[in-house]
Amino acid sequence: MLVNSIAYESLTKHCENGNCDKEILHWIQNDLTEVRYSYRFFESESNKIAHILENLGIQTGDVASVFLPRSPILISSFFGILKLQSMSCILFSTLGEDALLDRLGNSQAKIVITKNSLVRKILAIKDKLPNLKAVLIVDKDDHTSDFVMSLIKLMENADTNFEYPYQVNAEMPAFLQYTSGSTGKPKGALHVHSAIIDIIQSFKEIMGLVPDDLYWCTADPAWITGLSYGIIAPFSTMATSIQFSGTYNAEHWLKILKDKQVTIWYTAPTALRMMRQEEESTFDQIRSNNLKRMYSVGEPLNPEIYHWGKEIFGTEVYDNWWQSETGSIMISNRPGLEVKPGSMGKPRNGIEPFILGNEMQPLPIGSHGHLTLRKGWNSMFRTYYHKEDAYQEKFHGEYYITGDLAYKDEDGYFWYVSRSDDVINTAGHLVGPFEVESALLEIEEIGDVAVIGVDDPLLHKKIIAFIVLQNNLTWDKALELKCRIYISNKVSTVATPSEFIVSERIPKNQSGKILRRVLRAVYEGKDPGDVSTME
Amino acid sequence: MDITEKLTDVFREVFDDQTITLYDEMTADDVDAWDSLSHINLIIAVEIAFGIEFKQSEIQNFADVGELKQSIESKLADKNK
Repeated sequence: MLVNSIAYESLTKHCENGNCDKEILHWIQNDLTEVRYSYRFFESESNKIAHILENLGIQTGDVASVFLPRSPILISSFFGILKLQSMSCILFSTLGEDALLDRLGNSQAKIVITKNSLVRKILAIKDKLPNLKAVLIVDKDDHTSDFVMSLIKLMENADTNFEYPYQVNAEMPAFLQYTSGSTGKPKGALHVHSAIIDIIQSFKEIMGLVPDDLYWCTADPAWITGLSYGIIAPFSTMATSIQFSGTYNAEHWLKILKDKQVTIWYTAPTALRMMRQEEESTFDQIRSNNLKRMYSVGEPLNPEIYHWGKEIFGTEVYDNWWQSETGSIMISNRPGLEVKPGSMGKPRNGIEPFILGNEMQPLPIGSHGHLTLRKGWNSMFRTYYHKEDAYQEKFHGEYYITGDLAYKDEDGYFWYVSRSDDVINTAGHLVGPFEVESALLEIEEIGDVAVIGVDDPLLHKKIIAFIVLQNNLTWDKALELKCRIYISNKVSTVATPSEFIVSERIPKNQSGKILRRVLRAVYEGKDPGDVSTME
Repeated sequence: MDITEKLTDVFREVFDDQTITLYDEMTADDVDAWDSLSHINLIIAVEIAFGIEFKQSEIQNFADVGELKQSIESKLADKNK
């Protein structure tokens, strides 16, 4: 089956239909000044990038990675890669060297597009990346070598036209989205071009924008939300949207909402919880605003925050649930559906979730069990790149096992309970304990380590590291700083533990598996339960 | 070593970037990986480097590097009284 490619559906089609000069994106810079970009800009820039990548030998099916903070060039790069029928892999610019190596190594990326201040991280690991052909720098005027080249310089003379097939096989790979598991290295969920069918359909069904709306999705494009609903959905449906270069800042965010007259806002519960910590007077400016609806995703929206958001912003807050693997919203609160605060809502059209027991048997209404989805929707991931075994483990027959525990109530609403594995959802980011533990063990003072997630009123879960020091060493502020900086720079800032607890030993079973439930119980001052398997 | 030089060393260590050059108007938006989480690393590193302590209420209130420097200067002056 052929489908319109994501690049055609998002850019070229609109130019062909006479909308090339529509200002599709209002870019708010750090100083809150605004630059508006048309489809023509992205069409032309992405064509140049497609030419450049082609000239560098990038072919259909190759992976090109974009390691940049949110920026117009990130968007142009994404579409340029897709036009070449290569695979895009956008990575958080906060990733450290170890995390980068895991992702660039697994994806066998041939090109990385990045900025000058980040290139040192790639150069530090380039000897371990035999497939990497070149690094393209978006903010450097001249080439450094044949390996580190200036994208600006390459774009100076690049052709602004690029011929590419507007229709592609529905199963043609389009992008990789890395996500953490409870064991092993991060896995790249592979999505195909037909994902755009679900992205558009869900955007229309759930967000329901009309032509005069101004939409703002605050998610970073390295997060699946920022890609599916920050770029692909608004571009493909001609929904004018906002992007902000800056990081979270309550004052700036509120000013943008108010002054730019945002009508539809898609954000995260953690952001709302952080905002709630601000002084009451901070919200005086937003009491009168243009917001019609708010949406949130990433971790459960507590009823308390739901009510607060509704009161402060004067509009409904629709929480929804989905994952990197699902590619688009699966279960959602939305207009026309009464909101039950704290609930994930109901499945959107065509999506069939089930609550199953440990033996994958259907459970009755109200029972806690594994949240599963009947496979087969367009934006479902097609594999974990180069980790097919791990992909197969996520399925039981026709059911995709999401890794979340939930229940369904008598009215058909779904309610999140917790993860079924050890993955930590902190501020909407999934962190695998293994990644953090591996990095901490590289520190010479650390003898053993175990990482868990515990409830946190701000982050949903916070990361706690139990550590065993090497002989005769003592814990102090300097060693804590060393550990914190190491994790932040080697893995990611979001993976940095909130607390370090020095222990005499790490509880493990006889096969050496860390008994995280025992550590959680110890942390929470609860009974650890059966410890008969502890070594 | 004056405060700016010492603070530059701290920034370079915390953000693992030897090219960082501080200026008073510099904010988190100007440094890769300076977010609310790595900000805690920065504060701990500043406390250790300068032998000072910040109150909880002070930690998130620095609008830019200039304000952070002023706070360090003020705490050092108090310490030396």
